[in-house]
Amino acid sequence: MTATTMPATVSGLNHWAGLDEFEAFIDDGGMVEPGDAMPEVYRQEVFRFIEFHANSELMGGLTERDWIPKAPGLRLKQIFLAKTQDEIGHAHLLYMVAADMGVKGRTEMLEDLFSGRSRFHNVFHYQAVTWADQIAIAYLVDAAAFASQRAVFAQCSYGPYKRVLKRIVAEEGFHMRHGEEMLLRMAEGTPVQHQMFQEALNRWWWPAVQLFGPDSAPDDPLLRWKIKSERNEDLRDAYIQKYVPLLQGYRFQIPDDGVHFNEEAGKWVVSEIDWEPLKATMRQGGPDSKRRITNAANNWADTAWVRSAFNLEGAGAP
Amino acid sequence: MAEMTDGAALSGKPAGLSPAATEYILAFADDEHMVGARHTTWIGLGPFLEEDLAFCSIAQDELGHAIALYTVVAESEGAAGEAGVDQLALLRAPDAYRSSWLAEWPCNDWAQAVVRHWLYDTAEALRWDAVAASTVPQLAAIVPGAQREEQFHTRHAAQFMAQVCTTAAAQIGTAIQELLPVAHTVWLPPVDEAAALAEGVATRSFAEMEQDWQALVEADLSKWGLPAALLRGQSASEQRQTDRTVRSPGFTPFHQDLVEVFSIDPAAVW
Repeated sequence: MTATTMPATVSGLNHWAGLDEFEAFIDDGGMVEPGDAMPEVYRQEVFRFIEFHANSELMGGLTERDWIPKAPGLRLKQIFLAKTQDEIGHAHLLYMVAADMGVKGRTEMLEDLFSGRSRFHNVFHYQAVTWADQIAIAYLVDAAAFASQRAVFAQCSYGPYKRVLKRIVAEEGFHMRHGEEMLLRMAEGTPVQHQMFQEALNRWWWPAVQLFGPDSAPDDPLLRWKIKSERNEDLRDAYIQKYVPLLQGYRFQIPDDGVHFNEEAGKWVVSEIDWEPLKATMRQGGPDSKRRITNAANNWADTAWVRSAFNLEGAGAP
Repeated sequence: MAEMTDGAALSGKPAGLSPAATEYILAFADDEHMVGARHTTWIGLGPFLEEDLAFCSIAQDELGHAIALYTVVAESEGAAGEAGVDQLALLRAPDAYRSSWLAEWPCNDWAQAVVRHWLYDTAEALRWDAVAASTVPQLAAIVPGAQREEQFHTRHAAQFMAQVCTTAAAQIGTAIQELLPVAHTVWLPPVDEAAALAEGVATRSFAEMEQDWQALVEADLSKWGLPAALLRGQSASEQRQTDRTVRSPGFTPFHQDLVEVFSIDPAAVW
């Protein structure tokens, strides 16, 4: 950090004269902490991003839970239970980090989620309809989430978020490896298993690709403030370059008539992405949005007496 | 995948374990499996995130106990590994299971789930103590690890119940009444318990342990300000488990869920 961008310190907390000084601090690799007098625009944007991440971890757990009772084996049931527990644990950590930003408490965030007022990742608006979908989530979605979260962890300027991401990224990496092992069983299994995964791939390929979002805006503040370290389109392209040949190598067909290898560019190219399905999920209009949110909301209401007994209801439950 | 086995197949004497020992261990394994599987259905739906994580860990522990117990039986039958465990855990016909209705009960309401957790784990701790000096060395070897985990389960159940009994006594009282018809089924003895005790598989009978359990749960209720008599008396339910060969009303669809994926392709390794 240079002398010109050193923030003034009051009682051990940082504050900045203006946004320019704050951004110079970020550019020099500075780390923002919850007690710092961060610019309000940074607080709101980073909070919104972390809340979205927390919501997605929780709703991801709810997406995966449906097939845990049907896991084909006791050890597999333990493994998928542990994996889903990780996702719920990530939500727990992230809600605490978000609550510490002083924008909303945890209870308010959860109630906004269960009333459809806040958002979560597009992929968790879809239903796992077979066991192969559970594996598609583990293989395709966890890999996309891992790539996305690792890119946030890389330079993350908000200290508490970076610290919990260290654990989250490590666990997601483990989930990704688990997904690869599960995929191998389907790819090298019986014709029935191979066909099951092909059908799951047909359902999950595009939502997984869309998870990275449309191209980043040229002036995306989350890139400028080093919450994100890579542009959406770059992460998406790296994912396509890795997973198209891998899936084809396992004799699966990418559900895209236009997918091809461009010799001149030396890379895989997919058809133009239809973003309407992703936009629909952001309006809570995905294929399984209503059931997912309604079930979660009903359960939240049914268990209110427990939170009340623990004096958590309405208390902000940090 | 092996074929489903019927109840009669279990009566054949496995190498290394007597039929009575097999029945004794399967009764414990099936209870652990069923309660773990039922706890599993709460993941993501716990009343608050910390409790969600805790209850999920308990579910994983119970499933781990079930795996360890099934392994003792499977290895005695020469069927080692995950396939041997899954054959016993998932692929028996319903009448071949030996679980109690308390363990099998759906408990789709959180008050019931936590009351079952308290009742079952209080019983489970006594059952582990009873096999700590088992003459089946593979069974005795499981006990120290299980007891360590069970300490956390019983402590968790007690702390949770103490809190909710103080402030939500009505919900807990109702749940206890709802579970009364099945609460004592955890103490239905394994088939041929007398022979298992004579062999030294366990050192205490289910009848003896049930007396201790009754005293423990009544003491808990008194401590938490609820009437100890809540858990006394006979069930008024017409449907009642009379022995461990009888399955609860909701068992069949639950079991169909357990084997749904297995049933898709018997040749597959999942």
